[in-house]
Amino acid sequence: MRVVTRASGAWRSFHSWCGCSSVGASFLELLLAREERAGPGTRGGRRSLPKADMAENGETWGASEAELDPVEYTLRKRLPHRLPRRPNDIYVNMKTDFKAQLARCQKLLEGGGGGRGQGGCPEIYIHGLGLAINRAINIALQLQASSFGALQVAANTSTVELVDELEPETNTREPLTRTRNNSAIHIRVFRVTPK
Amino acid sequence: MRSPSYLPCTLLGRRRLEGVEPAALGPEGLWLCRGTPALEMSNAREKKHAKKMRNQPTNVTLSSGFGAVDERGVKHHNGNEKSFQYQKQESHSGAPQHQQPKSTHVPSEPCMNEQPCKSQCRGEKGKGQAGWRGGHQGAAREIPKYITASTFAQARAAEVNAMLKAVTQKSSNSLVFQTLPRHMRRRAMSHNVKRLPRRLREIAQKEAEKTEHQKKEHSKNKCRKARRCHLNLLLEFNRRQKKNVWLETHIWHAKRFHMVKKWGYCLGESPTVKSYRASYRAMTKHCLLQDLSYYCCLELNGKEEEILKALARMCSIDTGLTFAAVHCLSGKRQGSLVLYRADKYPEEMLGPITFIWKPEGGTSTTPVNRKLWLWTHPTLKQDILTELKLVCQCVQPPEAAASIPEVVLTPHEEKSHIKQTENCKKRKRESDGEKNTNPVKKIVGDGTRNPFQPYSWTSSTTGIVVSDFTMEMNRYRLIGPLSHSILTEALKTASVYTEVEDAETVPHSWWVEACKNPDSVSVHHRQEAFFELLGGIASPAEFPAGTVLGLTVGDPRVNLPQKKAKALPSLEKCQDNEKVRQLRLEGVPVECAHSFIWNQDICKSVTENKISEKELNQMRSELMVPGSQLNLGHRESKIPILLIQQPGKVTGEDRLGWGSGWDVLLPKGWGMAFWIPFIYRGARVGGLKEALIHSRYKGAPSIPDDFPDCPAGILFAREQENNLLEKYKRHPPAKRPNYVKHGTLSPFRCPWGQLTRDWESRITTRAESLVSPSCSWANVKSDPGREDLCVVEDEQESKLSCEAETLKDKPGEPEEMMDTDSPGAAVAGDTTGEGVCGNDSGGTKGTFCVLRSRKLLKLLAAWCHPVARRNRVAIQASRMYQQQELTRATCLPILRDYPRSLVWVSLSLLKKGNPELHTMICIPSKDDILLLNEDRLYGGPQESRHSDPFKAKARKQKEKKTEKEQKQGGQHCAIVCAEGTPGLWPGSLPDITGHCSRTLLGFVTQGDFSLAAGCGEALGFVSLTGLLEMLLSQPADKRGLVLLRTPASLQYRFARIIIDI
Repeated sequence: MRVVTRASGAWRSFHSWCGCSSVGASFLELLLAREERAGPGTRGGRRSLPKADMAENGETWGASEAELDPVEYTLRKRLPHRLPRRPNDIYVNMKTDFKAQLARCQKLLEGGGGGRGQGGCPEIYIHGLGLAINRAINIALQLQASSFGALQVAANTSTVELVDELEPETNTREPLTRTRNNSAIHIRVFRVTPK
Repeated sequence: MRSPSYLPCTLLGRRRLEGVEPAALGPEGLWLCRGTPALEMSNAREKKHAKKMRNQPTNVTLSSGFGAVDERGVKHHNGNEKSFQYQKQESHSGAPQHQQPKSTHVPSEPCMNEQPCKSQCRGEKGKGQAGWRGGHQGAAREIPKYITASTFAQARAAEVNAMLKAVTQKSSNSLVFQTLPRHMRRRAMSHNVKRLPRRLREIAQKEAEKTEHQKKEHSKNKCRKARRCHLNLLLEFNRRQKKNVWLETHIWHAKRFHMVKKWGYCLGESPTVKSYRASYRAMTKHCLLQDLSYYCCLELNGKEEEILKALARMCSIDTGLTFAAVHCLSGKRQGSLVLYRADKYPEEMLGPITFIWKPEGGTSTTPVNRKLWLWTHPTLKQDILTELKLVCQCVQPPEAAASIPEVVLTPHEEKSHIKQTENCKKRKRESDGEKNTNPVKKIVGDGTRNPFQPYSWTSSTTGIVVSDFTMEMNRYRLIGPLSHSILTEALKTASVYTEVEDAETVPHSWWVEACKNPDSVSVHHRQEAFFELLGGIASPAEFPAGTVLGLTVGDPRVNLPQKKAKALPSLEKCQDNEKVRQLRLEGVPVECAHSFIWNQDICKSVTENKISEKELNQMRSELMVPGSQLNLGHRESKIPILLIQQPGKVTGEDRLGWGSGWDVLLPKGWGMAFWIPFIYRGARVGGLKEALIHSRYKGAPSIPDDFPDCPAGILFAREQENNLLEKYKRHPPAKRPNYVKHGTLSPFRCPWGQLTRDWESRITTRAESLVSPSCSWANVKSDPGREDLCVVEDEQESKLSCEAETLKDKPGEPEEMMDTDSPGAAVAGDTTGEGVCGNDSGGTKGTFCVLRSRKLLKLLAAWCHPVARRNRVAIQASRMYQQQELTRATCLPILRDYPRSLVWVSLSLLKKGNPELHTMICIPSKDDILLLNEDRLYGGPQESRHSDPFKAKARKQKEKKTEKEQKQGGQHCAIVCAEGTPGLWPGSLPDITGHCSRTLLGFVTQGDFSLAAGCGEALGFVSLTGLLEMLLSQPADKRGLVLLRTPASLQYRFARIIIDI
């Protein structure tokens, strides 16, 4: 339940609930297939920054397109707004090795080695933004497949508002900000107790 | 002379002993037995012996057997009346072998024969062969009948004296107890004389006294208790901080940090606890706190247009936004820029600064005086201050200003006068502190500076007042995402007085006054609302860069938690989304940037009305419920502060927003009152080293290390070179790298001037050699397809020329090479430099400058990116930006305008490698890139070992010297001293770009393994000419690849050049 309040609370500007907790693996696989068909190349520029990487479809804020002359402004991307991080949140990115991220999730779930107690977390949240959605789904499915049915997944999607700052190059202009939206996914991976 | 004479003697002694049973020898024989091995002197032992004998008195010459005779003489003097005093003179090398059996085999004449035997032994012991022989030859038969007592005693007395002197005189430079054998050593011998054997006590006593004198004189007249008494302690502290100023947090730091004296301050270098990684984590995930109060604030007060007009001469729009940028001018953002000497851009850089304008109050129609704060590093302050005075035409010191009619004097000026007189008073009080009953005040803020030095300057023509606000404010820096929660938990906004009281009764009259004004109250409420919102934002990087938020807060000591606990963001605060969104998009509006900290009067009263720690604790102890919240009511201080957001990493693509945080400006005197609450909320404290790491990971140049073209940077480089050289010299040559063999010409400094000069001459010589091809360039240039071909040709030619050079170098004698090459190169460099300067608009004369033009840097940044075939987006982007393609034609104007420039680059290692200070950045050859293409794990090429001609030369000279010494005695020649340290290149450097197999491009100024990136990362400068040359010669998809080589290694490592803008 927490994930719902969380998503609606934090990345809330425009949320589309494509799934709730009952949606399982099939939905994810569908989503993944679509992602793969689309391919990463079409989605963003050459910059492989996961957090701020997507086609600019959002409405511009405070500035019209005509004003955005590259000679007069420099684009600076800001960090996306996010909630304080709990120990069982995992933010997936495109820079870290896939295996390492998968291992981190597994470690968190199994609780081996760390001082978090024997059982580990009963549930973890995997967050992916933009280009990293694909990878987040991948990680969740891998976790589920390797658990022999002990783990279940539930996905939520949301839209995250990203802020781009336009820094002026001339003294007379004010700095501008532009917002655009990017899609995000929050996958809850939880342990089901066998009956 | 000596050694051949006693060699046969030892042999003889041996043989004799072998022939004789020890019993027959008696105790002396046995003793001799023990003594003989010592006589068999090997070479080393001989040396050792010579060393031991070094301090023997000259009149006791043992080699001639004098000692033996002497001893014998003494012996007989005691026993018999026989003396062999003068026998040794006549003694000659006889046939002692014959004597030997006789003396031992004839026990029947004990009296006569034992004596020579004894004398033999003694003679052996005394290392005199003559005496021994004398003993057998003459002594046995011709024993003098009498001796004269007086002459004999006289002679002996002199010798005894000499012997005593030798015994008492210590030969080595070790302490007495150190000369004792191990089994005689006792614990605590070094400070308890009585543990030593009695005979050594006297000497040890003397030694102890000597060291006592060397120690610093303690004020022993006072006992520890008296010394630690508060008043005396303060006096002592005041004395100690006279030379190097202490920050307000000094004592806190001194207990936990390695302190260094730098820039006229005592600053914490790094914590004594191991915290390299912990501080990095704090910066990334938690919060790192730094005391930046040593940064200097300069205030300009005057009409806006006048200030802008004056300052416009010192900066250029080329390098980025200036003082006149709209958002900075309004006062809602902090700006940063690089200052130059007036009208000298792009040369003579003074240093980077940050600045804030005081927000305009209310009506903007009337031209009011504006205030501008410039924050500079202390090393840059003097240069910037003098230039500011020059630009604003402020020449008079305040005394002169005071004599000018009152109209010119601004209220601020008068105030500063008052302050100054107070200062003098304070000093006086300090000086006669013992007599004065008043407690001596701890020095804060302006008490630290010389009261007789002016710190405010007025201009009669422009009306600008320049004042030096050094140490007037505290500046703390919080870095990391948790800084929000620490700020919101530690600081509580001041409560507004609702009931209007008499302003005189309460101590904080300024706040009462402010509360009467509805405008300021509403501003205060808005500020409070924004401040509360901070808690709901996860990272300072979500704010617009340089946001300024003014605030008035209550005393942070009141709600200090009982225990240190980490402040964590709470979810509840994150709910108010519409407002947070607004804040993130627009930042803090201008009104909220206002703070009372700009008003000097208020600051002063706030400092003076601070409740002391003691009083606060007293009040706490009187609380009804122990440990409950203290309620001070109206007595609680209200402190105006200013929060300034520091953008973290804004350039580049990785780790955006890393290291962002907030700066807190406080009035002086309140340092510790804010420091402890921050720490109690879980901030980790860093020192100068952590600041360096912060700037390195941010990719920002640190001050003053990375500004080689400003005076402070040059000074820093020199100091660093001296330090490193000293450290290098402390190691013996075998235990330190031989930099000549590594081909490292300057391991301790970066010869920027020579680098740029060499590159310039390189280009010009090539242009001259390619006169005919250069004509055809114009035709070729239009055809992009053929360009590569030309480049290849070009490359080959350069290679050929390189080879020719090396060929020329190799057979030649190294000294000759140096002699012929270096002046030639220098001359060539000079002439070409002048030639270029003659028709050059940039006009860089002789010196280098750092390229800071944003337009050019952007162009370079785009060119440095590798352009892969499949990556069409970048190409499209560059087309969209109407950027020029990288061709020789486009490079030429740049090279013409900036012939001797450096470019600030960041380097990221592809695979292995850990760059260090002064790592060389080199151009990879074609083969290197090919090898890298073939083998993905290819580590990099290796530099072949260079020969060290100076070593052989030095050895030769040394030999010569020793020969000379042997001939002429101890004549010292200074040739070796002039040679320099072995392992370093002596004298002036040859052409540094072509010294190694890969062409040198630049140097790294900061480099290490980056915890943030997970690989080696470095920052440094490269020559602009070289960079363009390299980019032109590289294939498009491998552009920006360079090689790095640390000074003490032969291994090159691949790295990618990135220009962040």
